[in-house]
Amino acid sequence: MDRNSIENHRKITYASVMNFQVQTDAVKDGRKGGGLKLILPFFRRYKAQILLGMVCMIIVDGTQLIVPQVIRSVVDTLDAGSLDRAVLIRQCVFILGLGVLMAVLRYAWRILLMGSARNLEKGIRDQLYTHIMALDPAFFDRVNTGDIMAHATSDINHVRMAFGFGIIVLVDTVLLGGAILAIMIWTHPKLTALALIPMPALIFFTRFLGKKMHDFHTTAQESFSVLTEMIRESFFGIRIIKVFNFESLVTNRVGHAATDYFRKNLKRAVATSLLRPLLGFFFNISSLIILFYGGILVMRNTLSPGELVAFLQYLGLLAWPIIAIGWMTNLFQRGMSSLRRINALLQSRPRITCPENPVTMPRQIRQIRFSHTGFSYDGHTPILSDICLDIPGGSRVGITGPPGTGKTTLACLMMRLYDPTQGKIRVNGIPTTDMDPKALQSCIAFMPQEPFLFSATIRENMLMGRNMPDTELEKVIRICDLSDTIKAMPRGLEALVGERGVTLSGGQKQRLVLARALVEDKPVLILDDPVSQLDTQTAQRVIDGIHRRTKDRTCVLISHRLSALAACDTIYVLENGRISAGGSHAHLLETSRYYRHAFDVQQFEET
Amino acid sequence: MTREEKEIRLADLVLAKAMWPYIRPYAWMLAVSTLLVFAGIFFELSIPLLIQKGLDGFILQSGQNSKDALFLGLHMEDFRSFGLFFCLMILAAFVIDFGQTLFLEYSGQKIILNLRWKLFSHMTGLPVAYYDKNASGRLVARVAGDIENMNEMFTSVLVFIFKDLVLMAAIFVMLARLNAGLAFYLFGLVPVILMSVTGFSRHVRSAFRTIRQKIGEINHSFSEGISGIRAIQTTGSAATFIKRFRDLNATHYDAAMRQIKTFAVFMPFIGLLGIISTAVILWAGGLKVTAHEMTIGELVAFLTYMKLFFRPLRELSEKFNLLQNALASAERITTVLEQKKDRQRLTRKRVRMDAIHHLAFDHVHFSYDTETPVLKDICFSLEKGSSIGIVGQTGSGKTSIINLVTGFYRPDAGLIRINGQLQESINTMDIRRKTALVMQDPILFSGTVKDNICPPENPLDGPDLKKVLEQANCGFLYDKFNGPETMLKEGGRPLSAGEKQLICIARAFACNPDLIIFDEATSYMDSGSEQAVHEAMNRLMKGRLSIIIAHRLSTIRHCDRILLLRNGRIREQGSHPELVRAKGEYYHLLEKETL
Repeated sequence: MDRNSIENHRKITYASVMNFQVQTDAVKDGRKGGGLKLILPFFRRYKAQILLGMVCMIIVDGTQLIVPQVIRSVVDTLDAGSLDRAVLIRQCVFILGLGVLMAVLRYAWRILLMGSARNLEKGIRDQLYTHIMALDPAFFDRVNTGDIMAHATSDINHVRMAFGFGIIVLVDTVLLGGAILAIMIWTHPKLTALALIPMPALIFFTRFLGKKMHDFHTTAQESFSVLTEMIRESFFGIRIIKVFNFESLVTNRVGHAATDYFRKNLKRAVATSLLRPLLGFFFNISSLIILFYGGILVMRNTLSPGELVAFLQYLGLLAWPIIAIGWMTNLFQRGMSSLRRINALLQSRPRITCPENPVTMPRQIRQIRFSHTGFSYDGHTPILSDICLDIPGGSRVGITGPPGTGKTTLACLMMRLYDPTQGKIRVNGIPTTDMDPKALQSCIAFMPQEPFLFSATIRENMLMGRNMPDTELEKVIRICDLSDTIKAMPRGLEALVGERGVTLSGGQKQRLVLARALVEDKPVLILDDPVSQLDTQTAQRVIDGIHRRTKDRTCVLISHRLSALAACDTIYVLENGRISAGGSHAHLLETSRYYRHAFDVQQFEET
Repeated sequence: MTREEKEIRLADLVLAKAMWPYIRPYAWMLAVSTLLVFAGIFFELSIPLLIQKGLDGFILQSGQNSKDALFLGLHMEDFRSFGLFFCLMILAAFVIDFGQTLFLEYSGQKIILNLRWKLFSHMTGLPVAYYDKNASGRLVARVAGDIENMNEMFTSVLVFIFKDLVLMAAIFVMLARLNAGLAFYLFGLVPVILMSVTGFSRHVRSAFRTIRQKIGEINHSFSEGISGIRAIQTTGSAATFIKRFRDLNATHYDAAMRQIKTFAVFMPFIGLLGIISTAVILWAGGLKVTAHEMTIGELVAFLTYMKLFFRPLRELSEKFNLLQNALASAERITTVLEQKKDRQRLTRKRVRMDAIHHLAFDHVHFSYDTETPVLKDICFSLEKGSSIGIVGQTGSGKTSIINLVTGFYRPDAGLIRINGQLQESINTMDIRRKTALVMQDPILFSGTVKDNICPPENPLDGPDLKKVLEQANCGFLYDKFNGPETMLKEGGRPLSAGEKQLICIARAFACNPDLIIFDEATSYMDSGSEQAVHEAMNRLMKGRLSIIIAHRLSTIRHCDRILLLRNGRIREQGSHPELVRAKGEYYHLLEKETL
């Protein structure tokens, strides 16, 4: 009867261990086992290592159980009053031997199991980065950068914890816990049953508080990043704050944000502070039960004193597996949902794909033609509509127009960063959708509107891993009017820029990014607003240099600065997503109201 | 080694002195926490003792007749009352333990909240030069990360290192009282333990540091890869970036493995020490029991306490690391706190000033580092209702003039007069109250448009605010967005560059300045928005003093006076027609710009 109830209890304990499997796999998300596919190959590859690690751990667990038995037998012989020195020595040496064995095996499993978890982490992170590099801009419009960052940092960490620590804890819990339970039951089933009464509560609270801790921690972290951002923007705008006497205002705002963080942190603190004392409490209750009921048993002579002492020792050993059950289920749940999120990210495919049989890129680009092309990011607000334009190979085309009329989008379509939602774009008569986007992009040098610099040297930022002899690079630098800037740098071309290096002005950044686009001699050059941040003289010098360098190449120039466009063969005016006028500079001055007006603003009549 | 330690200790004292004023108001909280910690230790230690008393007094009764247990002078006559007492003890232990942890967290957080607030408000008072010298990312780290590390020091380190040490000492006393002879054996282990803990923590610290640094780099290259994805893809350099990332990831892996190895040596070693001492105690204790020098219950209690003795060891080494971290942060924070504030320079007889109607530079020289002169012999004057335009190439010193006018920096030589009085003699706050600045980067803070515009001392109400927005051509706020209640996210999203600049002009309108400064305010603009901005600018300039910096001549053509700067000197000065007639540098610039 008693033995049965213990068995049942054990089943319950095991069931709760296995429970997470049922929950995480089936209930949470429709996609069953979606994430596991990601890590199974890993387990296969490191099979031997993981198995060996587990065997080591199992032996350690087994050995650990023998120690209290030895102590028990010593205490019992002591109680009987008959002690042989030789026996005592043998027992102590035996314990020492076990200790050394355990130390060696513990070293082994730590390296084997934790090492393989780090391998898993490394593998997933590599995979994630490689995957992201292949996604198209449309993906990054949809997905928040912060979310991807979260996948790369905390989600990968959760996975490592679940499948590194998690496995260790799982093996430990099942084996060690099971064995301890078995010995306890074998010693005295009823006493075991009574001692285990508080344990379900213990498991419940570890799980419950563990989850709360995690949730509160996340909200506290969110509050912390709000606070950090607030501090950052205050420091960034310090001049404005000082001139407008906003000091007290921002201090108050930061004060509020800090208080919010304080409150959320306190919530987390309540959960954290409750956990350990609560575990201790339930554990002490178990000790009390063992001592009280076991004591009565000893007094009745149905239990030996040594057995009672060993029982207390085993209870001490059981504490860890019991706590681990609650902890581990949280770990696995978190790990699984992280895995699913990472997997979803890895499943996302670029919308722009290479057709099955891509047309080989023509060696010469004779013509790029937009025929009734339209585009919309979200499917209903048109950004570009009915664009018809013709860019003959080797010609210079300028595009201007008020902001938000789709000039940048037009450039992106040419690059096949997006595909048009209406009409086609043809290169030498072949629709771009029939081409491999990579092959197409390898024919086009592109300078995006927002200059982005990597925290690397100036040279690395220009070359981006491509090769160019220094003499050629010098030429490019001269065209971009960067010679003086670079000369003024402490380490010239090798000076670090970006977050951890020198801060460049807007105009310097712009010219650096322009140089990046000029590094390769590609047949087509698209420059999106290349000189907006340069003063007029420099801008003119740079534009002239570009024209000289790209004499026989196709060049698309987007700018608000009409003086920069004047040398173009054809200039198109884009208004509200449509081409409102096109022609030479002189022609547009007469035909386009926008162009005329813009010219008047930028130009001024001589007195 | 010893010298190094001494130095650190000395520095720690200085740190403690600098930090003390911020901690003092909460010192009582820390004191209470410490008391609670002691109470916690008492309970933690009394429970094994109780078990021993129970074993010896009731269960084993080795030969004696009396059934009782003596605990802290408390006689328990039967087993049942002993059980009840045990119950009470564990309940009390729970309450004390929980109360102590929570209270400690609370005090730590409270100190941190206060310190963070003080630090931030101190930093907003620092001169602009300080911000120019230090990368803003690093300054943010002071208020965010470093303060957070300090928190670690209060909540988990200080009290706990203290607690663990006291606990270990207390356990040792208990062991010695149980059996001095046995405790002596254990004592032999202490040097080994201390040496291994210090050695281990040194290793682990360096491993942790590399891991943290590598993770930082990994995160950085992730975010850089995402933000720069277009640049990477359009230059076809994805492969290069992937390779670079893999290398970085591999170095992180190596560092992580090193850390795992360190732990794989240390943790089992501590376990081994525990086993060794168990064997020794069992051997020596067994002999003592046979010789009737100690009871079995005492031996069991001894073994239990010994376990407790080894438990804090692992954590202790971890906490030493945290303490090191926290001290490094504290040091960085103190350096910031010791920076002199802006305003403290002008303590003596500051003159009150209500309005600016005249501004003059009188042979002003200026440099940022006292070596390379940035401005040389600058003279000009500006009256109410007139405007000055400053042109010149990048690096010619245009922005430095503004840095002087706004009092962000002081001239090396020469005088700046406002209303005929020396700038230094006037309360900087008064000057700034009457000054507005519109910069090249439209700087907006996250929050509502209203928060961004209104001066804190006189918040504008509905109609006034609307009028200001209309004057600044910000009608779009009502058409496209939510009016002055529009919420702006970081970087002024969702407004376009031109719209952001208009809001900045509205901010200038709202503070109703006498002196208005435009620093390249229209450089990001296309012609369409530029006109809206120009209109707003012209409206704002009316009846005030204005300084306009531009690289496009069209922007400053209508100014009453134009300064042409080159290499920090004024090369030409005059109105547009005058300068055109002079056919000098200005005229050449003009020709180039007109195609």
